[in-house]
Amino acid sequence: MKRGDSLYRRLLGWLLLPLLVLGSLILIQAWVDAQRTADRAFDRLLEAASLAIAEQVQWQDDRLWLDLPPAALEMLATDAQERVFYSLVDRQGRLITGNALLPGDPRQGAEGEDTLLYRHIDWQGLSLRQGVRRTRVEDWRVREPFEVRVAHSREGRDALAARLWRANLAMILAMAALATVGLLLAIRAALTPLTRLRRAIRARDPRTLAPLELSLPRELAELRDTVNELLARMRRVRANQERFIGDASHQLRTPLAGLSARAELALRQDDPMRWKEALIAMQATSARTARLAVQLLSLTRLANPEYRPDRVPVELNALACQAVRDHWASCHRQGVDLGVENAGDEVWIHGIDWLLAEAIGNLIDNASRYGGRCVTVKVEHCPPRLIVEDDGPGIPEPRRMLMLRPFHRDRDDLAGSGLGLAIVDGIARTHGARLQLSTGHDGRGLRVVLQFPGDTS
Amino acid sequence: MNRPSRVASRWLLLISLVVTPAVADETLHYPAAPDNGPATSLVVHGALDLPQMQPLLEGFHRQHPDVTVRYRNLTTLALHERFLAAPDEADVLLSSAMPWQYRLANEGHARALASPAAQRWPAWARWRHELFAITFEPIVMVVNRAVIERFGEVRGHADLLALLERHAGALQGRVVTYDPATSGAGYTYAIEESRLSPRYWDLVAALGKAETALADTTAEMLDGLIEGRYLVGYNLLGSYAQERLANQPQLRIVVPEDYALVTQRLALIPRQAPHPQAAERFLDYLISETGQTVLARETPLGAIHPALDGPGTATALRQARGEALRPIAVGPGLLATLDDLKREALLTRWQREFARGE
Repeated sequence: MKRGDSLYRRLLGWLLLPLLVLGSLILIQAWVDAQRTADRAFDRLLEAASLAIAEQVQWQDDRLWLDLPPAALEMLATDAQERVFYSLVDRQGRLITGNALLPGDPRQGAEGEDTLLYRHIDWQGLSLRQGVRRTRVEDWRVREPFEVRVAHSREGRDALAARLWRANLAMILAMAALATVGLLLAIRAALTPLTRLRRAIRARDPRTLAPLELSLPRELAELRDTVNELLARMRRVRANQERFIGDASHQLRTPLAGLSARAELALRQDDPMRWKEALIAMQATSARTARLAVQLLSLTRLANPEYRPDRVPVELNALACQAVRDHWASCHRQGVDLGVENAGDEVWIHGIDWLLAEAIGNLIDNASRYGGRCVTVKVEHCPPRLIVEDDGPGIPEPRRMLMLRPFHRDRDDLAGSGLGLAIVDGIARTHGARLQLSTGHDGRGLRVVLQFPGDTS
Repeated sequence: MNRPSRVASRWLLLISLVVTPAVADETLHYPAAPDNGPATSLVVHGALDLPQMQPLLEGFHRQHPDVTVRYRNLTTLALHERFLAAPDEADVLLSSAMPWQYRLANEGHARALASPAAQRWPAWARWRHELFAITFEPIVMVVNRAVIERFGEVRGHADLLALLERHAGALQGRVVTYDPATSGAGYTYAIEESRLSPRYWDLVAALGKAETALADTTAEMLDGLIEGRYLVGYNLLGSYAQERLANQPQLRIVVPEDYALVTQRLALIPRQAPHPQAAERFLDYLISETGQTVLARETPLGAIHPALDGPGTATALRQARGEALRPIAVGPGLLATLDDLKREALLTRWQREFARGE
């Protein structure tokens, strides 16, 4: 796992990034605001100074006249000792008086309208803020427009703007710090249930499959429920296994106990003929027990989900014929009529030949064992099917599914192991085939169908 | 030259006529000591007479023997015009024409001095860190003892007004003051005094009633006072009076008790100074304790440095006169002094009031 690949870091990154962008925007906004506020405050000085000058402008001796109030200039300079400029300009743009010929108001205002313009100018290499007041002298007969232009350098404004911004900056930084701390705590708090879940899983007894019991937020509760479902499935599987093991040991114990009893009985006799009879009986029992063990083994193997044997192309007709040949002798001994009905063409499927042979063997064995007198193995084409049909008593519909469970027998029969159909079921599942149990063709007996997936190649 | 500058020149002519004794072209020269490493130069242009400038320059040269110092004494007008014609000639400008020095700095012709001494220099005696007031010279009255013996003490403007109103006949033609129409300094004082109190106009009227003689320079007034043509002199530059009247016991210098204007010489380093480092060293020296001590002890100019005490310092003068001292503020108000129409308005009023008394 990469260092950066952590939920905590990811959350923090994605939350801090917008926070950072937002913070920068706020800082820029604060700077613009501070400058605007400083300009507004200092423009008042321009306004007052230009007004103080304009009020002193008179019409005297046929010309504009100004008794300049020094205070008007002094108010333009604050503690920052700004440079100060002023000029009085008549309607033709001629300088009446002033210490600098400042540029005028470029707007064409209506005649006789008082206007005031603030703007930034660069004048002889100095960055100035200028106020231009356009007004006029109102005398009895004369209406003479003029402009008062005042300007000062920006030190005071800049200092105020910087001060305002610094104050804002401190606040914004404090807020950012608080937000970050809050974010860290929030993420930590939000991820706590995850830690709790991890601890709960880690602290469990590895053998227990009990469900996780802890209250979690919705998103994690889903995860917990999923885990609990998995655990429940595992519990069922384990219960099955335990029952299977119990049944299996029980099944093995019964013939072994029989063997032991028979041997004990025989040893009490002195007649060698009895011994021979006993040995023959014991041989049959041990053969049956060995077969049971083999069946158990193959069932265990089939029940293992990890077991994935290689499949090869198998021809079903040949397989069916071989199985019938293998079992014909024993069936004949029991007086069972075993036959085979091949499909017309060759039927190829992907499968494991020995497992399929085992399945057919089991079905034939079952059929003959439970009262079938006539057993037929059929192969059908399209879809590929393997059918074993008998004319025995059959299985009533409601109990058919039960028959697939290991060690379940329809009636008390010591010779059968109760594993046959369960094994067939396992083989069918291994091949992805459907296992169907139904009544035989004339309403009697049992018909077992293994229907393979559609490929016939 | 634009219009304000032309006006400026006319004005400077007036100022120069008054403040600085008429001297053509006086210079001082201190060559750098030969064994002191690479020599640098320093060119100082000032409106300050050689006897007063000499101790200052000598003190500086003792501290910085590696600097070749040239001092040129000019009238305030010549100094200003020479600067406008060649702004890269001088390293330090030193002038008593406060409005003009202020105007140069206001327009950005001055270079800021950021030395620790400049940081410590009192805020009222500088503008930004570009313009430094280095002297403290009260505007005084000079009264002949005969007048005091006959009419009583003259301690301030109120006394002078009373004296003029009561004994206008006896003092007819025996009082002298600046003519504000022809003297820049006189005009500057008039504008400041008219701002201080409306009673100034009564004083002007009383001066007119006594048929006061109008002079252009302090030197002219002092000449008349020493010769006995005048008995009372009003608004004389204290530093000059002190020097000239040291051996004139019959004349008493009165620093007015009610209010006394104080004028200051302003120094600045031009932005285009050819030797800015040397200029900074010199200005730094002028506002240092050493330079100011020289100023206090060896010249009548008056030292500003707050650490200095004793005769010839602003501190001593403040202790003696306290609240009455009104140093001319180094600020934009000085620009109003230079305003054409303002001058016209003030002079019209002044002449009207002066004539009213006659």
